[in-house]
Amino acid sequence: MTEVEAEVAVTPPHDIQHTAHAPHDPHATATGVTNTKLAIWMFLASDCLFFGAFISAYLLYRGRPGGEGPTAAEIYNIPFTSVTSFILLMSSLTMVLALAAIMRGDYRRLRIWLLATALFGSVFIGGQVFEFTEFYREGLTLSSNLSGSTFFVLTGFHGAHVTIGIIWLLSLWGLATQGKLSVGDSEKVEIAGLYWHFVDVVWIVIFTMVYLIPQ
Amino acid sequence: MTTVTDVLEVPARRVGVLRRPKATTGFWSWFTTVDHKKIAIMYATTALAFFVIGGVEALLLRVQLYGANGTLLTASQYNELFTMHGTTMVFLMGMPLAVAFGNYLIPLMIGARDVAFPRLNAFGYWGFLMGGIFLYSSFLLGGSAPNGGWFGYTPLTSTGLDRGFLPGHGPDFWVVGLVMLGIASTTGAINFIVTIINMRAPGMTLMRMPVFVWMMFVVAFLTLFAMPIVTAALIMVYFDRNFATNFFVAANGGEPLLYQHLFWLFGHPEVYILILPGMGIVSEILPVFSRKPLFGYAVVVFSGIAIGFMGWGVWVHHMFATGLGPVAISAFALSTMIIAVPTGVKIFNWLATTWRGALRLTTPMLFALGFIAMFTLGGLSGVLHSIVPADTQQTDTYFVVAHFHYVLFGGLVFGLFGGFYYWFPKLYARKLDERLGKLNFWTIMIGFNLTFFPMHFVGLLGMPRRTYRYDSGLGWEGMNQIETIGSFVIAFSVLIFFVNVFYSKTRGEAVGPDPWDGRTLEWTIPSPPPEYNFEEIPEVESIDDFWHRKYTEDEQGRLVRLPSGGAVAVEERTGDGHGDGHGEGHGEGHGIHMPSPSYFPLVVAIGLPIMGYAAVFQMWWLAAVGALPVLYGSYAWAIEPQTEPET
Amino acid sequence: MADTESTETSTEERSEGGAVQALERAEHELEAKVEHELEEHLPPGVTTPAPGLLPGEVRPHPNPAQYVLIAVVLCVVTAFEVGLYYLEGDIPDALIIALLLGSAVVKFFLVASWYMHLRTDQAIFRRFFIIGLVAAVALYLIVLLTLHVFE
Repeated sequence: MTEVEAEVAVTPPHDIQHTAHAPHDPHATATGVTNTKLAIWMFLASDCLFFGAFISAYLLYRGRPGGEGPTAAEIYNIPFTSVTSFILLMSSLTMVLALAAIMRGDYRRLRIWLLATALFGSVFIGGQVFEFTEFYREGLTLSSNLSGSTFFVLTGFHGAHVTIGIIWLLSLWGLATQGKLSVGDSEKVEIAGLYWHFVDVVWIVIFTMVYLIPQ
Repeated sequence: MTTVTDVLEVPARRVGVLRRPKATTGFWSWFTTVDHKKIAIMYATTALAFFVIGGVEALLLRVQLYGANGTLLTASQYNELFTMHGTTMVFLMGMPLAVAFGNYLIPLMIGARDVAFPRLNAFGYWGFLMGGIFLYSSFLLGGSAPNGGWFGYTPLTSTGLDRGFLPGHGPDFWVVGLVMLGIASTTGAINFIVTIINMRAPGMTLMRMPVFVWMMFVVAFLTLFAMPIVTAALIMVYFDRNFATNFFVAANGGEPLLYQHLFWLFGHPEVYILILPGMGIVSEILPVFSRKPLFGYAVVVFSGIAIGFMGWGVWVHHMFATGLGPVAISAFALSTMIIAVPTGVKIFNWLATTWRGALRLTTPMLFALGFIAMFTLGGLSGVLHSIVPADTQQTDTYFVVAHFHYVLFGGLVFGLFGGFYYWFPKLYARKLDERLGKLNFWTIMIGFNLTFFPMHFVGLLGMPRRTYRYDSGLGWEGMNQIETIGSFVIAFSVLIFFVNVFYSKTRGEAVGPDPWDGRTLEWTIPSPPPEYNFEEIPEVESIDDFWHRKYTEDEQGRLVRLPSGGAVAVEERTGDGHGDGHGEGHGEGHGIHMPSPSYFPLVVAIGLPIMGYAAVFQMWWLAAVGALPVLYGSYAWAIEPQTEPET
Repeated sequence: MADTESTETSTEERSEGGAVQALERAEHELEAKVEHELEEHLPPGVTTPAPGLLPGEVRPHPNPAQYVLIAVVLCVVTAFEVGLYYLEGDIPDALIIALLLGSAVVKFFLVASWYMHLRTDQAIFRRFFIIGLVAAVALYLIVLLTLHVFE
């Protein structure tokens, strides 16, 4: 008997019509999916167009002459950024492990993985701060040329998204340490996770399109 | 947020310094309410206030242009006024008024007791209000109001203050203010989408939803996907202005056209964001006053969806004069012609709905018919713009001004007025006065055409838009005088409307819950609706479900009133029609537990303009101050349950 | 529990090719189980989560071993990408660009479908997210085309 089968076996059949009597029962929606998850997916779909605009601007202006100083592509530190990108990628793994932990009621691992995810995110942000400082030292600034403008604004807004994600994760971790997250709250971790993974996939696109593709 | 209720064993009675508010009536309840009907009223009131402000701005513009070489306004004042007129009418009147209707009606029409996210809904309103106040505070604080046009083309707006073409902080206020309004409307759109998908009553399948709900559904998607695009464009403008980035600096290789692309990628869907709610309202009014079902319901719905999709494929027709090359221009000329098809389909559907109907020419019906006529004229002058050589000639002339006012005033505003007259009895159990209403309609119809019809001609005669004065002898004076007179007729008509509202709210003809013999679910419940809307969630069996509960057809296809059909309505008529919207402990409302009021949507929204001022004046300590209410409000919001457990 | 454990050990031992096969097999097994059992037991509209499911879900998430396996694949693809960067100049740019974009797409969809559960969760999320994604790609591509970026 696998876990899955066991779960299925204990699932009781429900009466759909209870929708009519309990409109605020979170389990009773016309489609069966929860409002919160639907909302976060809507937000993520919308955010695609936000990042798309900045990525397009970067692609449009790539390699254009004008301004002064080096372009971003000339001073990328690919080994360094590869490592921070890798860390962000792995934070997605720790995030799903946190979700799996809370769903099976393993609160100790939940706390560990949540904290690990936030930590990985912070390392990524730290790397970005270091990278930005280095670039500024080498003469690439927001205003030096188009490459700087598009690079810093795009990666900066991505960094802002990651920072919000870190705050979110740390808040969940805080709740978890106080014992205020239980199996019933799994969806909260899932929602934060969806946001976190989205930020990660955006970075997957940025890392390839902005850093790796030859100029 | 939905799981919160279940989860917190110990309810947060008090979060920080704020105790959970209890009152659902009285002055202060408006600040904490999460009731979609109250929020709708706040949206409508605020948007109408901005309608008046934007209208006064328009009157000033018209007075300036009454004769040649007008002297009332300086060039820069004129710039500020036309910029704020456009920005106000689009972002502070058109969109929020449509949201007001959506807020009030979507839950009632789909048989829901509330929206999916009551507190997010309240936040959407407060964000809108704060954004509007923030924009208008630029008159006092910015040295200049926004003055680069409602589209804010670069590099005019994007060149920084030190090297700037435009005086003052106006464009900064505009950029930051629109980002704020974008946040508010995106939350509103998400709320509407989730509500429509998830909160429908049993049996209310998508293809049984009233057309108005459908149109708001499409509008919510357009908002959801259009807002992030313009937000990104505005952020680029902000960085260009304040941090000397090069996004639109041609000297450093920047491309000002990129801004136009991003703006119109948002801007054209925005046009449909504004007009589709009007189409939805008209599609509700026409069947009721024709006593016939909407002709081709599915076709109307699908053409609405088609407009929603195709609206993304025509934005370049705003840029035909920018020299994008023959391929791009031909492609977008074609798509512009094609998008006229679903719009035309709708017009024929509406006409067919009235065909051989038992028409009742009440005020809402007059506005709906006026909508069809005026919107058709606007559509015809619009499709002319797909003929590129003609468009090149008409670009930036008054012809374009005439065109979009026929669509947005003749379309949207007529639709909204029709909606006010139609649904007012649901809010106040009294009809708006019919004599004043008809006066309202005919004066606005006359004033509107006096104002905007001659603009076609002066435009074709070459009068440019956004010009603050013109020389005599160009043959424009006579028509400009007519336009100015017409604009005051409109103002008079709007005044009649407000008089009507204030008069009828207390002294209008008292009516029952179903005064128009309606077809949709909102007419099955008492007027005004109780806080919980539906005492029992309805079971829906067809389109126009309420109608089919009241009427059947005999062998000859004539309508026959079912003897028992009106029972629901009659029963409720005798019931308490003046419920004060207080759920618990109120007659039938026992046991229905509604979401509790909350301070935190307002608290979070208060942080937005503070951070906005910080961004405009680059006072970063102020940004930290503004972040405090946002953070505190967000945490408290997350911790408090949506609905307080019963005590 | 036997099945999950065997997957776990196998992932650690096998090479990438084997891992992908194991992954596919695990996927099929899961799907077969889930679809066989759940579709009969859960009437539509019911969202009360069974143990191991989130509200509204009808099919279980991948298990931790599978999560780790995906991470391994992501690592390998990333290493491949970075390797390509160092081959610039040695092989044609067009090929590098095609391979890089392909890798990014693979990573994107692995995360979206496995970590964000789009492959097991209800179709509505997948549809809406794809609408946003396709809109973004298509619209901005047209913008870049009209601005002659690719010429």
